[in-house]
Amino acid sequence: MAIANPIAPPAVSEETLQRPWRFDVFARWPWLKRLVRMRTFQFLAILPNLLLFYLFLIAGLFGTPVGNRNIIIVFVWILWWFVLITVMVPLGSRVWCTMCPLPFFGDWVQRRAVVLVHPGKSPGTENRFFGLHRRWPKQLSNIWLQNLGFLFLATFSALLVTRPIFSAVVFGVLFALATGLALVYRLRTFCNYVCPISGFLSLYAMTSTVELRSVDKNECLKCSSKACIRGSEKGWACPWNVYMGKLDRNNYCGLCFECVKSCPNDNISLFVRPFSTSDVILRGYDEVWKACIMLVLALTYSVMLLGPWGRFKDWANVSEVRNWGGFGLFAAGQALLALVIFPGLYYLSIRLAKWYAKADSIPTKELFLKYAYALVPMGLLAWIAFSVPLLMVNGSYIVSVISDPLGWGMNLFGTAEFPWAPLWPEWVPFIQVPILLAGFYYGFRGMHKVGRQLFSDPAQLYRSLLPPAVLLLAVTLVFLKLFVG
Amino acid sequence: MTWKEAAGVLAVLVTLAGLPLLLWHWRVGVLNRYPPGTKVITLTAIANGGIWTQEEIVGANYWWRKPVRTEEISLQQGDHVVLRLRSVDVLHTFGIPLLRLGPVDVPAGHTVEVGFTAERAGVLTFLCWQVCSPDHPGLRGRFLVKAGKAVETW
Repeated sequence: MAIANPIAPPAVSEETLQRPWRFDVFARWPWLKRLVRMRTFQFLAILPNLLLFYLFLIAGLFGTPVGNRNIIIVFVWILWWFVLITVMVPLGSRVWCTMCPLPFFGDWVQRRAVVLVHPGKSPGTENRFFGLHRRWPKQLSNIWLQNLGFLFLATFSALLVTRPIFSAVVFGVLFALATGLALVYRLRTFCNYVCPISGFLSLYAMTSTVELRSVDKNECLKCSSKACIRGSEKGWACPWNVYMGKLDRNNYCGLCFECVKSCPNDNISLFVRPFSTSDVILRGYDEVWKACIMLVLALTYSVMLLGPWGRFKDWANVSEVRNWGGFGLFAAGQALLALVIFPGLYYLSIRLAKWYAKADSIPTKELFLKYAYALVPMGLLAWIAFSVPLLMVNGSYIVSVISDPLGWGMNLFGTAEFPWAPLWPEWVPFIQVPILLAGFYYGFRGMHKVGRQLFSDPAQLYRSLLPPAVLLLAVTLVFLKLFVG
Repeated sequence: MTWKEAAGVLAVLVTLAGLPLLLWHWRVGVLNRYPPGTKVITLTAIANGGIWTQEEIVGANYWWRKPVRTEEISLQQGDHVVLRLRSVDVLHTFGIPLLRLGPVDVPAGHTVEVGFTAERAGVLTFLCWQVCSPDHPGLRGRFLVKAGKAVETW
């Protein structure tokens, strides 16, 4: 079973096989299937973003250092972030990975092609790859690196999202890493195990309304070529090292659609499904910690970037204020909260759940992992609630920066002097509150769904849900207090 | 290599080479759009340190380079001057009191153009009129206008 997480292979449960309703997109719109089967599809999806990110790098290095007048800050941290977390992930799973330019050069050097596919032999595949093609170390075959990487970047987020040079350096390093790792390791090692963006995409894609799956798993069982994962003359081996016959979660499918091209049985399709209903199992501590880290960061970002407490902003703004003591407090506090305190609180709630429900037969680890799904929709919706004011208050900068992307005094479309104009800021709390409440609802519902598989007695089930539900409620109330007072 | 592959590679190479060329072309074009003989001077205000500088301040050098302060700029009597004023941090306000030029707001990240003619020889002090930082008093400089050719109308 070739998935990124080395925890025991997933049991493909009855529930997974008999999913809630889902709608076969390729069956309904065959032109879409023809589109993703084109060899040029992914290249055409990536090229515009490659151009944009190239412009961003140039702007970060040679454009104005003023963040709201530089396209790298405005487009990446206002527009792209908002669209990613609010639209792409909930509605498109990892569709950003379909068009992400970061691994482009790595793929190019590995494949020695930007469009073509090379049949041949490389270890584990039916394609000819170049480079050393080494296996990533097993101890690192999880998302811990991504967890810590994202937490590290988040520590410097006040600089990252406001200073063009910092963003340019980070993206430049990610480009270089992706390319360098592709020369040494197999497939998309960077995307699977290193990319900090990939880390949270993998988690929140679980809630998404789309999934790429095999149509009939029995066909996969009968298939001898396993071209979806091994590749063929029609498509590259899955860059994510995913076998469609066993795929039952969105986490590690990057929607590159190579498997749709290479499947000899035409047995792979894109499905639409309800939000946050299907992939409800977290499989390892790395994923649980990811959920904890992201939820805590949604809180600390909200405090730091949206809150009224100037002291915290000054602590985070170390490059200008130079208060290293304060920055140290902020960094340590955030790390402690994300890695120790909140996971500790969650663990405590699980121990209480076990005690209250008298669930001695269920291992603590199992309950800890399974109920942790509640943090996923909750975290995603907390991030969406945080991102709404980003766009509504700062979105007008997009209009001005389109005409003067580098802050050089251009006026390409006549909008360079478009003034800062917050869009209905008085409505922001009214949008954030239902989003946060929805996060609580979907979190509780996901926990309830998983709990039904563990407890046949409804009374025992609800007793087991109570302590973690109280924790979820407390988190929701903290966010509500922060956003609406 | 098929034509699709070749086209793909070409598209990437055109992107990598073309974008910097386009930007460079724009920059050269900016300097060429003024009437011949116009003296174009770019002045960037930096609040931290109270500096007006003619150096290009961009993302790559803002944080660790100490730019050279512009104390004086030499002009010839009769020069037609276009000042491209920039701010890389906060709102500044530019003015040349002797010419009654300004106050001209220079918001952060914006480029503002003002023009004047150095009609008489002498010293023209320019300064920031907006209290922008503790180093605000340092935000001043001089145009040294040397006696020379007669004034020509624009």
